[in-house]
Amino acid sequence: MKKLLTPAFLLALGLLLAAEAGVRLLLPDDVSGRFSYGYHPDAGFVESKDGTVRLVRAGGRRFLPQTFSRQPETATWRILVLGDSVPRGPFFQAAYPWRLQETLQQKGTKTEVLNLAVAGYGARRNQLVLRKALEYNPHLVILHLNDSNEYEDEREYRRRQDFHSWHPRHWPMKSYIFARAYEIKTEKIFWKLLPDKIRRQSAVNDAEAELRASLNEAQVQLWREQFWQTTRESAALVRQQGLPLVLVIQGVLQCQESGGPSISDQELAVMAHSLQGPGVYLLSMKQVFSPLAAITQCYADSAHLTPYGHLVLAQALAELVDKHLVQKLVMPQKAAMK
Amino acid sequence: MSFVSWQFPFLLAFVVLIYWRLPHKYRLWLLLLASYTFYAFWDLRFLALIFSTTGVDFLCALGIKGERRNLKKTLAVVFWPFGWLLGCFWLIPDSRIDGTMLLVALTASLVFLGFYLTIWRLRAEVRGRSFLLLSILFCLTILGFFKYFNFFLDSAGSVLSFFGLQPNWPSLQIILPVGISFYTFQSLGYVVDVYRRQGEVCRDFLTFAVFDAFFPQLVAGPIERSRQLLPQLQQHLAFSAGNLQDGLVLILTGLFKKVFVADNCALLANYVFDPAAELNAYWALLGALAFAFQIYGDFSGYTDIARGSARLLGINLTQNFRFPYLAMNPSDFWARWHISLSTWFRDYVYIPLGGNRGTPGQTVRNLSITMLLAGLWHGASWIFVLWGAYHGFLLMLYRFGPLTCLNRQQFSRQWQNWLAWLLMSSFTLLGWAIFRSPSLSHFWMWLTALGHWGPVETPWLSSWWWLVMHVAPLILLQAVSLAADGETRLKPLPWRMRGVIYAAMILLIVSSTEHDQEFIYFQF
Repeated sequence: MKKLLTPAFLLALGLLLAAEAGVRLLLPDDVSGRFSYGYHPDAGFVESKDGTVRLVRAGGRRFLPQTFSRQPETATWRILVLGDSVPRGPFFQAAYPWRLQETLQQKGTKTEVLNLAVAGYGARRNQLVLRKALEYNPHLVILHLNDSNEYEDEREYRRRQDFHSWHPRHWPMKSYIFARAYEIKTEKIFWKLLPDKIRRQSAVNDAEAELRASLNEAQVQLWREQFWQTTRESAALVRQQGLPLVLVIQGVLQCQESGGPSISDQELAVMAHSLQGPGVYLLSMKQVFSPLAAITQCYADSAHLTPYGHLVLAQALAELVDKHLVQKLVMPQKAAMK
Repeated sequence: MSFVSWQFPFLLAFVVLIYWRLPHKYRLWLLLLASYTFYAFWDLRFLALIFSTTGVDFLCALGIKGERRNLKKTLAVVFWPFGWLLGCFWLIPDSRIDGTMLLVALTASLVFLGFYLTIWRLRAEVRGRSFLLLSILFCLTILGFFKYFNFFLDSAGSVLSFFGLQPNWPSLQIILPVGISFYTFQSLGYVVDVYRRQGEVCRDFLTFAVFDAFFPQLVAGPIERSRQLLPQLQQHLAFSAGNLQDGLVLILTGLFKKVFVADNCALLANYVFDPAAELNAYWALLGALAFAFQIYGDFSGYTDIARGSARLLGINLTQNFRFPYLAMNPSDFWARWHISLSTWFRDYVYIPLGGNRGTPGQTVRNLSITMLLAGLWHGASWIFVLWGAYHGFLLMLYRFGPLTCLNRQQFSRQWQNWLAWLLMSSFTLLGWAIFRSPSLSHFWMWLTALGHWGPVETPWLSSWWWLVMHVAPLILLQAVSLAADGETRLKPLPWRMRGVIYAAMILLIVSSTEHDQEFIYFQF
């Protein structure tokens, strides 16, 4: 055995161990939750000793950078917005949560709106974020409904398993540097050097795989059921805390046969009504945008909103929040209840 | 089971750990069990083919030596494959074995037994040759059916339709068993060696079964000679730490060549040799170059892992590559590329045909037959036949034509060496373009693309960098090995540098291409 441990072998082992130890000691934040892909129990919330909470990564994707205190300031409404790339917006100030905060404050309601939306998040990962976020004493939760992200939720869950399962094939992934190297492979980071035509031909890229999965009716139906089941659980979680919940039914822009644009909510509204109840409010993007003369100015593409669209949505939400919630609830009581 | 699968390291570690603690007889049992397990990961059914080859060649070799086993043992060996299929059929519900397969296996066993017993009734003078013929016929029939049946049927159909006939032959769905060409040739080589008295007959069935199915080289070689491998299996090998070190380094290097070099070069080669690709001269050359490194990294990487795995068990396998891209002439290339196959064809086809002992015409004929068969060995396709013919043509030109100028001994100046190398490398690249082309028409498309030079595109440049990025470490590794003793070894380097290289190779392997490609030579 001694003969096997040659200096070269020991050096290679030493280098790898040193790199591993160095990364774990010097970059603990980078290690924590790095390979959870949105399924880490902390869900990307990092608490500091001074009582503040920092939003960091949520797996491969990141929250918009925000820091807030564990307890909201006195007489301040803390509103959480959860969803995918639609509420996340192109950047922080252009997204409607920021506009909502501004609008409510202009109306005299002291508000803190946290944008907890992450691109590609479906019902499962949003529920993890919700569970964690509920620890920070919100007064209202706004949850976006969109059942087209379940594929990504599943894919990221499987990817997470590569790093966290105890299957022998994943044993090397217990090492951070091996996991990081492996992620370079799975994320195809260096493939950026290759021309598009080669990448397209050689890889079943995510978009293609998603497209293929979306053509499988049985699979889509399964995901849809899972989406509604998880959303029901999330709504129940919020209601158990005695908090009001606003469900925003997302709509996509499409062209009618007559040629004009219209907004479809892909039957989400029908199902969403089954979730309606005391303390649960619905807001349909279709109803918000359809009456507008310039619908296309609200959408950047078929699903995502322009800054103008975000503004319109923020105003509609501000009206709903102001009318149904702020005027009926008295903040100190709410705080005391919690 | 593939060398790049997650199961293989566990199987290998398990075997190595136990192997060195066992007495010799049990070591062989362990190797046999590991080998059959290794193969069974692909398809349980095809183990029966290995059993058949092993049984037939074992009995025939003994027959050549005039040694007859008692009837009970003979029957056990002959009906072993049928028994295996029957057992799987009964015990494993989804083994995909049906009545037809059982019937074919039983018939084949009975036919062989009939011939075997008949030959024993012949005169002693013709018996040896008859056993040799029986072994060759049996092995080549299996190989021919599983590998070439549809190819010959389609080709015959094409010829007949050329003459206006429309044959309505049924096409069979035949799965090509992994490694069939390799273990068939290895086993056949043993029987021929015994017949020619160039190798000892193996009287122990267990040892011979391990020789035929030794898992590190079972599916893609090197094609071992009986006089090289059998003696190592027959003796009780002593543990050596040096073997263990060398084995691990070979496995690491092999993985690096396969996962980092070959699989990444494959992205470019696959694009260029796709029938839908739009090519110009730049892309055509880049694709051929990428494939040259892909196939070298893939196959020599496989060989390194095979040799490394065997070395961990104290067994030395034949060196299969010796810097093939440094070849200066066609003959030199075949002395460096897939050495175990080229020497097999030399010893069992070319020389028996007469080699270069006859007239130039006879030598040309022998070369042509050998190289056409070598091409066909690679796959049941006319493109491989063309590739074999191309290399045969190069060898002829080297022996009798203008390429005689590439004879290394004639060079007195360095630039002449460089020129010879450049010329031979171009020939090799052209050969790889034939080999990789999906069809003859695509090869023609590739060839015509060489005439279209235009402006250099940015995507081409970035692809070029991709190739350089993945090939440069291999070239450096080869340069170091060249300075050593011709093997994939880094020993001349200081240990500090080796340590850094090992660590870097491990990280590059882990971070390489996602789509785990199978080894190219598995299909042969």
